Amino acid sequence: MNLETKIGKITLRNPLILASGVLGSSYSSLNRIYNSGFGAVITKSIGIDERKGNPNPSVFFLHEIKSAINSVGLANPGYKLYREELKILIEKEVPTIVSIFGGNIDEFSEVLEGLDDLPFLCFELNLSCPNTEKEGLAVGTDPQLVYEITKEMQKRTSKPIWVKLTPNITDIFEIAEAAIKGGASALVAINTLKAMIIDIYSKKPILGFKRGGLSGAAIKPIGIRFVYDLFERFGETIPIVGVGGINSGYDVIEYLLAGASAVEVGTAIGIKYPENKTNLFIQQIKKYMHEQKVESISELIGGAHND
Amino acid sequence: MTKYFHNSKPEMCKIIKIMEENEDTRTFSIKLPFTPKKPKPGQFVMLWVPGIDEFPIGVAGIKDQILELCVAKVGEGTKALFELEQGDLVGIRGFFGKAFRIKKSITHIIVGGGYGMPPLKYLIEEIIKGRTEQDEIFVFEGARTKEKLLYVELLEKWKKEKKIDFFPFTDDGSYGKKGFPTEGVKEYLNKDNEKSVVIYSAGPEKMMKILFDICKNYNHIIDIQMSLADRHMRCGFGLCGACVVDPEGLRICVDGPVFSREQLEKMDDFGNYSRLPSGKKEEI
Repeated sequence: MNLETKIGKITLRNPLILASGVLGSSYSSLNRIYNSGFGAVITKSIGIDERKGNPNPSVFFLHEIKSAINSVGLANPGYKLYREELKILIEKEVPTIVSIFGGNIDEFSEVLEGLDDLPFLCFELNLSCPNTEKEGLAVGTDPQLVYEITKEMQKRTSKPIWVKLTPNITDIFEIAEAAIKGGASALVAINTLKAMIIDIYSKKPILGFKRGGLSGAAIKPIGIRFVYDLFERFGETIPIVGVGGINSGYDVIEYLLAGASAVEVGTAIGIKYPENKTNLFIQQIKKYMHEQKVESISELIGGAHND
Repeated sequence: MTKYFHNSKPEMCKIIKIMEENEDTRTFSIKLPFTPKKPKPGQFVMLWVPGIDEFPIGVAGIKDQILELCVAKVGEGTKALFELEQGDLVGIRGFFGKAFRIKKSITHIIVGGGYGMPPLKYLIEEIIKGRTEQDEIFVFEGARTKEKLLYVELLEKWKKEKKIDFFPFTDDGSYGKKGFPTEGVKEYLNKDNEKSVVIYSAGPEKMMKILFDICKNYNHIIDIQMSLADRHMRCGFGLCGACVVDPEGLRICVDGPVFSREQLEKMDDFGNYSRLPSGKKEEI
């Protein structure tokens, strides 16, 4: 049985990728999660300047729906300082994907060019963070901007460019098409869903930024639908990376069957012993493959489309 | 049946009493919606001042439904908390983190500085409750001035009742000995090195680093437990990564805040740098 998977030119030892935004501020936590058994890790989204993000509360869990809501707001130290974390990850041979964000082409370019000399796997463009006023969301919902940014970034680097899509949109095909036309190497779906929680006693929104994004089990069926739709339309053209609410190895299988070549896992890792969770995921994937007499991950990708 | 605080959104709780500890420190008694599984000394809650801020605060004590939190006015959030009155609501998430592990039949040396004292006060209470005849408790507390020393009356009372031995230190000599509590610990360790000792500490990281460097040289110290709770946190449950320390990727909020000698020895950050909300490293 082989858990290796290919996303375009990139081969990973298994389909588990740590999603951006989770444990991604320091090399040490990214290294820890990779060593727990993941196939690759993605950094926190990195921009030009240091950003402290939004005030607390900025992340909390919603027990009843096994989900998390956050409004961290792209806190990051800026690409110049983050290089130091990346260098250590590369030295430790951790397959690393760098998530970058910007408000326009120039900003994306500066970050990309400021990091591109380091030999990591690829870039993921965060075009869709719902936790900032200007950057991210506005960019990710405008097909023309998505096309231009993807095209310009692709021109500036020989590394693959993955484009992370927002679910907070009427027509995902339009945006996906723009990313493909711009030269994206993979589509990543989905980012968090716009969400909000109000405390009924103090009558105040709980998040410091008031509005936030939802991740975790509650959004899994939504992610599956997006991946299924994207695979149906573009499965022949471009690999898809599935994200949203994965909390078991069986959830990973479900995303593969919907059409993902790999998956990103985030919220499920926010527990006491992430190492145990990773082991469980791998065991469950193997168990399923054994039971179903599946030899390789590639046999599963898009498996739910064979009617 | 024991009820747990689930890791979920803030539980809204009423402030039922506010006690002034000194000019910038107050103890808030907060009524929880039910009697939870008892938190252990060293664990913390995320305290939400609605509409303003949320920050980690170590548990200073609990009796049934009444949670005791001792807070110093240090920033916008705590300033807003000090404007609240009895009857007002705050949000509580928790209880988070690894607690102090109380060893039995040994010498307990508790070293606190400034705002590290509230969880240590709770720890001392719990050690006293479960003590055997072999347990000895030595408390070393340091602060800038007499006014800044926390729980002096209580600790002097326990000393009088022979429950503990208490050694206060102030920078200006206005109470106890002039100097730092670390010096007192060193003196004690040089005098008596027969019995097994566990060091428990919370407070400024610089002080704890000095203490750690002193203590690691004594063979009869069987563990050194220090709380690094005084760092920037967001989620409190190990998801966001804001409080990660190098090189092992331990998270203060779930793998700590209380760390063991073995963990502290390997920790590059300890006493050297912490991370700002942006993730940028800042020297301590």
